[in-house]
Amino acid sequence: MAKAYTPGLLVTRHKKHRCVRRLPIAGDVKVKVGDRVSADDVVAETSLPGNVNPINLANQMSMPPADVMDCMIKHEGDPIAVNEPLAQTKGLFGMFKSTVNSRFEGTVETISPVTGQVIIRGAPLPVQVRAYIDGDVVSVREDEGCEIEAEVAYVQGIFGVGGETQGRIAMACTSNEQELVADEITPEMKGCIVVGGARMTAEAIQKARDVGAAAVVSGGLDDEDLKNLLGYDLGVAITGREELGITVIITEGFGEISMAERTYDMLKGHEGGNASVNGATQIRAGVMRPEIIIPLSGSQAAQAGQEFEEGQLVIGRSLRVIRDPYFGMIGEVSALPAEPHVLGSGSKARVLEVKFPSGETAIVPRANVELIEE
Amino acid sequence: MNQIDPDQIQVILATDCGSTTTKAILIQYVDGEYRQTHRGEAPTTVEKPFADVTMGVVNSVTEIGELAGRRLVDDEGRIITPATDTEGCDIYISTSSAGGGLQMMVAGVIAEMTAASAKRAALGAGSIVMDVIAANDGRRPHDQIQRIRDLRPDMILISGGTDGGTTEKVVQIAELVAPAKPQPRFGSDYSMPIIYAGNIEARDSISEVFSEGGFDLQIVDNLRPVLERENLGPARDKIHDIFLEHVMAQAPGYDKLMGWTGAPIMPTPGAVGDILQTVAKLQNINVVGVDIGGATTDVFSVFDETFNRTVSANLGMSYSISNVCAEATMANVLRWVPFDMDERELRNHVKNKMIRPTTIPQSRESLMFEQAVAREALRLAYKQHKEFATTLKGVQQQRTVGDTFSQETAGQTIVNNMKLDLLVASGGVLSHAPRMHQTAMLLIDAFEPEGVTMLAKDSIFMMPHLGVLASVHPKAAEQVFARDCLIYLGTCVAAKGMPKAGKPCFSWELSGDRSGSGTIHGGEMQLVELAEGETGTISLAPARGMDLGEGPGKKVEREVRGGTVGLILDGRGRSLELPQERVACQATVQGWLDSLEVYTEEVQPAAV
Amino acid sequence: MKQAMVILLALLAALTTRSLGADITLAPPSGVTASDVPNDVGSQILVTWSSSPDEVEPADGGVRALLGYAIYRQVAQTADGLESIGEAGSNQSELGFPANFTFDDVEPIGSVSYGQTTFVDENVNAGGTYLYAVAATGAGGTFSPLAVASLPATAEMQYFNQGKLWFLIIMLIISGVIIAFVMFAKRGGTIKVRPIAGLEAVTEAVGRSTEMGKPVLFVPGILDINDIQTVAGITVLSNVAKTAARYDAKLKVPTARSLVMTTARETVEAAYLGEGRPDAYNEDNIYYLTDEQFGYTAGVQGVMVREEPAACFYMGAFYAESLILAETGNSIGAIQIAGTAMPSQLPFFVAACDYTLIGEEFFAASAYLSNDPEQLGSLKGQDVGKVIAAVLLVIGCLVATLATVTPTQTLEMAQLYIADNILGNAGLAPNEDAVMEIDARWNAVESKVKEEGGS
Repeated sequence: MAKAYTPGLLVTRHKKHRCVRRLPIAGDVKVKVGDRVSADDVVAETSLPGNVNPINLANQMSMPPADVMDCMIKHEGDPIAVNEPLAQTKGLFGMFKSTVNSRFEGTVETISPVTGQVIIRGAPLPVQVRAYIDGDVVSVREDEGCEIEAEVAYVQGIFGVGGETQGRIAMACTSNEQELVADEITPEMKGCIVVGGARMTAEAIQKARDVGAAAVVSGGLDDEDLKNLLGYDLGVAITGREELGITVIITEGFGEISMAERTYDMLKGHEGGNASVNGATQIRAGVMRPEIIIPLSGSQAAQAGQEFEEGQLVIGRSLRVIRDPYFGMIGEVSALPAEPHVLGSGSKARVLEVKFPSGETAIVPRANVELIEE
Repeated sequence: MNQIDPDQIQVILATDCGSTTTKAILIQYVDGEYRQTHRGEAPTTVEKPFADVTMGVVNSVTEIGELAGRRLVDDEGRIITPATDTEGCDIYISTSSAGGGLQMMVAGVIAEMTAASAKRAALGAGSIVMDVIAANDGRRPHDQIQRIRDLRPDMILISGGTDGGTTEKVVQIAELVAPAKPQPRFGSDYSMPIIYAGNIEARDSISEVFSEGGFDLQIVDNLRPVLERENLGPARDKIHDIFLEHVMAQAPGYDKLMGWTGAPIMPTPGAVGDILQTVAKLQNINVVGVDIGGATTDVFSVFDETFNRTVSANLGMSYSISNVCAEATMANVLRWVPFDMDERELRNHVKNKMIRPTTIPQSRESLMFEQAVAREALRLAYKQHKEFATTLKGVQQQRTVGDTFSQETAGQTIVNNMKLDLLVASGGVLSHAPRMHQTAMLLIDAFEPEGVTMLAKDSIFMMPHLGVLASVHPKAAEQVFARDCLIYLGTCVAAKGMPKAGKPCFSWELSGDRSGSGTIHGGEMQLVELAEGETGTISLAPARGMDLGEGPGKKVEREVRGGTVGLILDGRGRSLELPQERVACQATVQGWLDSLEVYTEEVQPAAV
Repeated sequence: MKQAMVILLALLAALTTRSLGADITLAPPSGVTASDVPNDVGSQILVTWSSSPDEVEPADGGVRALLGYAIYRQVAQTADGLESIGEAGSNQSELGFPANFTFDDVEPIGSVSYGQTTFVDENVNAGGTYLYAVAATGAGGTFSPLAVASLPATAEMQYFNQGKLWFLIIMLIISGVIIAFVMFAKRGGTIKVRPIAGLEAVTEAVGRSTEMGKPVLFVPGILDINDIQTVAGITVLSNVAKTAARYDAKLKVPTARSLVMTTARETVEAAYLGEGRPDAYNEDNIYYLTDEQFGYTAGVQGVMVREEPAACFYMGAFYAESLILAETGNSIGAIQIAGTAMPSQLPFFVAACDYTLIGEEFFAASAYLSNDPEQLGSLKGQDVGKVIAAVLLVIGCLVATLATVTPTQTLEMAQLYIADNILGNAGLAPNEDAVMEIDARWNAVESKVKEEGGS
């Protein structure tokens, strides 16, 4: 078998990108098919039912739950404020009445004669879904959301933290092999998507956050720095909900590793342009990688070449090794032996031969390489 | 599904639709017994762009068909049943864990009592328990509601209260679930199934709470009718029914697949549990099984016919590897590695494995490190299992004056390594280790079996198939399990107690297919040759204070079975302790690895 | 022959004296001394003397003339420094007793029977100086002449009782250990407390109540709050209440004393507040029944039979009602946990309850439950104290047994040291007299052995 499919990260100069914008629960969709939207526009909104707060009246009034109903001042559906009387006991001959005030604001949702529990629901929480990218609404699902399509340049990162944001692309490094350190972050980068080269330092991220950058993108990051940034040791790669005030994306991996030249050049080509980024990563079945989406104007789109084609392992194909001992090295396929090969570890696996730019070759398991999309 | 006469079955086809691959096996009746004859594999096709699980099934079955020289799939892409001499199969069965398997949320009144029973029922049925809601779980009601809202389980199991017990608390729990309006994972066009298996007196109130809001309430017998007894069967069966009717029906292609099978499709882990239970019962032994995956680790145990299963959600070798290192601490992982490693590099290395989960270790160091992580993952998973597999809590104790100074609380673990007879390993890192010795060593280090314990691994992850088969044809299932499913690694003999280093721990004498004798000293391990298929009788005389199954210092005689590794004699003592000091620890571990020939000389990669 | 004559004469003389009655004169004791008793607050003076020659029983079998001794005292100087003897200066004898001293007018400060030669005057003031005299007394109110001590004695207060030095040492060791453990615990060290099954089971018992929809019953004993067991019971109640609040179980506490009720209410309310469930607290569930022992018992039993609690706690001081309550609880199928330091009631609780906290365990409960470093440290320190006591006990028993079975001088000395010095009042150094006595005895034995060996 001379061909094999090996997954890779998508980096493409031009792609028709669709993204689904969906509400968590049913609500209003504000756009219709054919509308042109920009990243900041609200495309759908709804209000989540408020928080639920139970109050056990039977206990507070020392009475059987079944009697609670008769003592209610407020009834189901009534709005109630904090410290407003909720229920009152009958007392003795109309005297010695005791009153229970609400500790919560909201509406009385239910009064249970079984548990003596009154549930007060707080004010609804508004939820807005923004367009996230500049593009056209191509479909609308009633009460749920819509799909937006745009011609974009698209970069998939390997890992990120932090959620959706957008800004102008600002290049901080001069080459893809330069480390991103704090000195390269300037106050002008406020609101920008800062693009570095190789590993970024913790100080650089800190400074970017201080100057108010929207996101930082670079080749690598030390695990220790990630731990300090998050405040905990990340166990499972499911991210996107962190509230760090900045979105951080690495394109290659952990440790000292430079950003792929192609990715770097592409981002550099769009310097100053707007982009949407999302750090959310989910490495599970149904994998989700962080992304950098750069909407293209009509002329740009026409210039950029064809859509990318899914990767095939063929001789001459360029790839990156993604596991030690050659971690991070880029080379091209020089041979594809069909027979499984015994590795240094003693396991048998299907391998390929890589030729590195230095002319050296190495045998690596096929599982440990990643194609670089061209 | 039509009834099948077990005696007429000659050809059995079974598939397991996993999240990434669909594995098919063919079992045939050859020379008076059932044997697994061929197997095939193909990528699972549940997700886009294929979105039809049967495509993967047909692909894998076609592969088998080619290997077996038997036409199993007809021109319309259907599996041919019943069999004729040259084509088709008598029965087709399948399990599924595609799309993340069966995911449930369970709720009960007290976390350690009815909620624990509910969790046991759900896990036993083969589901992943996303969360357990209980009145005493320490969360405020609105946090609980928020949590219920965030989860998107396939179904919810609510229990609580003994029959005639609390109604109030069960209804309270229901009153949390109903307004939270949890959304099912697949599609919004079907109502969330809710199984109520609590206090029978609360049924009316529960029905009322769930009467509106789009719930599909199913009521079954209380799973804890009195605190002294569990009755998990009805709830478990109902979970299976709903799994088929609702959950499977939502997954692409499953309606078609269900039409093909001769027995209900089971969730994969549920089927594994079934086969282990069947084997434990038929052979009258205690079994522990483990399946370590990329994201999760499942531990199954059958002790005295009591079955328990736990899923350690974030202990795994790829997606969760970073979590294993965080939970076990790097120092604990590194104690199994007999050489120095740079910690910063290692941390990056671990994270890189997490974000690129499919890579495999290329160098020996890398493999040793990964196996060190596996030891810790298994240790943690087994610890969680021991904590969960307990006797029932909340039970009245009967005492006499003699118990004055020996009062024990209820809820002690039922896992007893000394009584364990068979330890079965499956999952990538265990079953794909380059040397079986590594698998055996991993099992011993992680599970610390005591006394005489047989070690085995699942050859090609066949247990799920056999689990379903056990429900239609237990005899065939057991035959294939014993003959083809398990690869016996050998027998581990380990003394309980803390032997002094260098002092005799126990002496042994082996007779039978092989003979030999010797003395094992404290801190020492020895490998005695006893090949696959060979058996023998071993007489063991433990030193004072050491226990090999009959009590401290008492002599033991046991039948032992050989395997690809052999007879492993372990004098390291239980519980296993490694030197604190790094250099001493490295030397000790290296010694163990050498005596068991765990890692042979590194093979240099050719043509660099 | 001559000897026999002398005896006869003496007998004769004795007969004559007896017939003479009051006219006989007794010989006074000699060598009277007075000295301050050491290691006291200064309230004692020790008077000693050598017995009068008349104390010897007459050889002819006649009646002994001397019956005892009377002790007399003169204040030489009072504690506040006033010279009282000086006032009677004109008619005083040379050592301070008045010349006109008559036995009829002056009451002795104490008397002892014959055979004794010491007297401790416990009625002196610290700092006072006293002069003592002793007279032999005979039948019919006869007295010998006064034998006056050569020197007066001053009662002195010692700030330090050297006899109890060993006490101090042991106390310092235990206190030191306690402090060390407290510091250790405060600095984050872990002090392992053996799991007390009864307390571990609290969550289980309360959970059972919640699941079964039944109340939890807590009986804090029948004594008042001034009893230490009731206090320990209230500590456990606080924990039970916290668990009940968390598990949302109904907690009922009937009490036999009004003060216990008030304390229990405060405790339970605080516990509910601490768990963030003030709304679940209902003070009507903690109520007073009656002070009457069996009235209370009947009341509690009534609650048990009517409401069938799923968990019963008996924590405090119990008497005859223990078995009645525990048996009733058992019959309704409740998980029962008892704790008491009443030795006579423990067997009943052990037999009828699921878990029982025995004596010490009951008091250790608060340290165990609170996990407070001070309490844990002192618990651990007390354990060390108990170990020391147990070790002493074992060594003492061993030494005493061996000294009896195979006596040697060393063993006897060791026994003496443990009994008199470590456990007694002899201070650090062994009592010289006792040592000399043992020495002498063993010397005698030795010489005897030698002699026998020689012959």
